[in-house]
Amino acid sequence: MEDSETGGNGFEPKILIFACNWCSYAGADLAGVSRLQMPANCRVIRVMCSARVRPEFVITALSKGLDGVVVLGCHPGDCHYSEGNYFTRRRGLFLKKLVEYVGIEPERFQVRWVSASEGAKFADTVAEVTRQVKALGPNRPRPKA
Amino acid sequence: MQDKLQGIVRKLLGEGAIEYFIGYGAGSEPHRVVPCFVTSEHEIERLVWGPLCPHNLSKYVLQAKDLEGKAGLLVKGCDARAIVELLKQHQIEREKVVVIGVPCQGQVDPRKLEEVLGVPMEQVQGVEDAGDQFLVTIGEDDRKVAKEQVLWDKCLYCRHPAAFEYDFTLGEIVPFSIDAGESEFAKVEELEQLSVEERRAFWQKQFARCMRCNACREVCYACYCKECIFDRKMPRWLDKPPLLPENEIYHLIRAVHLAGRCIDCGECERVCPMNIPLSRLYKKVQKDIAELFDYEAGIELEEVPPLVSFELDDQDPFM
Repeated sequence: MEDSETGGNGFEPKILIFACNWCSYAGADLAGVSRLQMPANCRVIRVMCSARVRPEFVITALSKGLDGVVVLGCHPGDCHYSEGNYFTRRRGLFLKKLVEYVGIEPERFQVRWVSASEGAKFADTVAEVTRQVKALGPNRPRPKA
Repeated sequence: MQDKLQGIVRKLLGEGAIEYFIGYGAGSEPHRVVPCFVTSEHEIERLVWGPLCPHNLSKYVLQAKDLEGKAGLLVKGCDARAIVELLKQHQIEREKVVVIGVPCQGQVDPRKLEEVLGVPMEQVQGVEDAGDQFLVTIGEDDRKVAKEQVLWDKCLYCRHPAAFEYDFTLGEIVPFSIDAGESEFAKVEELEQLSVEERRAFWQKQFARCMRCNACREVCYACYCKECIFDRKMPRWLDKPPLLPENEIYHLIRAVHLAGRCIDCGECERVCPMNIPLSRLYKKVQKDIAELFDYEAGIELEEVPPLVSFELDDQDPFM
């Protein structure tokens, strides 16, 4: 998984993706079935709805040293539970500002809408976020080996 | 005003309208004021009011849930916002509380007073409101000091000096404004101008000093959860040692849990034993909530808190 835009020191970020079961996770599945190539830096946690992602998850992940957190949900209006992603949207708006204010680069926390048919968008999201976070470097100093 | 307060409380207790009254009481020294619970006639004379009453007493009213009768409470304008929020969050019933509103003309920050006067608080016998100034009694002398030099930061931009939700009021609501020369979000904007790395350095330094005494949580009206997230063992969100990153997680989660509920009473910063500038964090939370959702906590009882609601046409920068 070489990427010529990296800092050059072989830093491989660890990125967490929360994917909602009905849209984003299905989209991820489609990306896999379609054999789309993606960097392997992301760990995916499936949630039933993006609204399940409490801000605490994002804060704990970033403060403890994960290099990036992405929350994926259904497009607004298409939530399997009708309204979940509207709450995700509001929380995301607020959390993005707070995270940046305490000195965490804004690219490290992202929210995107990926539908079940958007396998390519999932693959692109993974590639793009990995690239952006790689360029930023480690979130926290890595413990000395 | 102190006499009027004692009179009203005497009447309420005498008639049995309230079981106890929560107010400010004289402390162990002349400059000390403490929260005071009055249940009987002979305790009433302990009640005081003046510029040394910064405490937000609203949190104590939560104990009234278990009372047969009602609790009475003294609130300044900033504290009254907590009452509105507690009502909104269904933590108290309006009928259980008798609210006495007092039009506050500013509260004194003892540290600022010490610096301006050059004397320790122990020598201060009393502080009285005198229009644009405070009259400070030190021993035999009375000294005047301009209000804007010694008020708490939050008082400098106060927009709500008097309670707007009350059963009795101790006086006319006199508009109170001090030209502080800077906006209420000035300190937040200062930090926003810095680069990401500079902000990280600032906050890491502050959070590293936290000793997780939980004073900010204990004093906050909004932290009333029977089991706080930070006390849970399953799942364990926070480890015990007061180190980064745990401290950062503590403060950020508290900020997020208070988003849309923080009423800017300033108590968290006042009680912090490490002088962490928590107002710089919570004013940011208030600023974002106001900008994003046009909402201010504790003002309108009917307004729905922004993070438990949504609009179909909310701004959506996410693709």
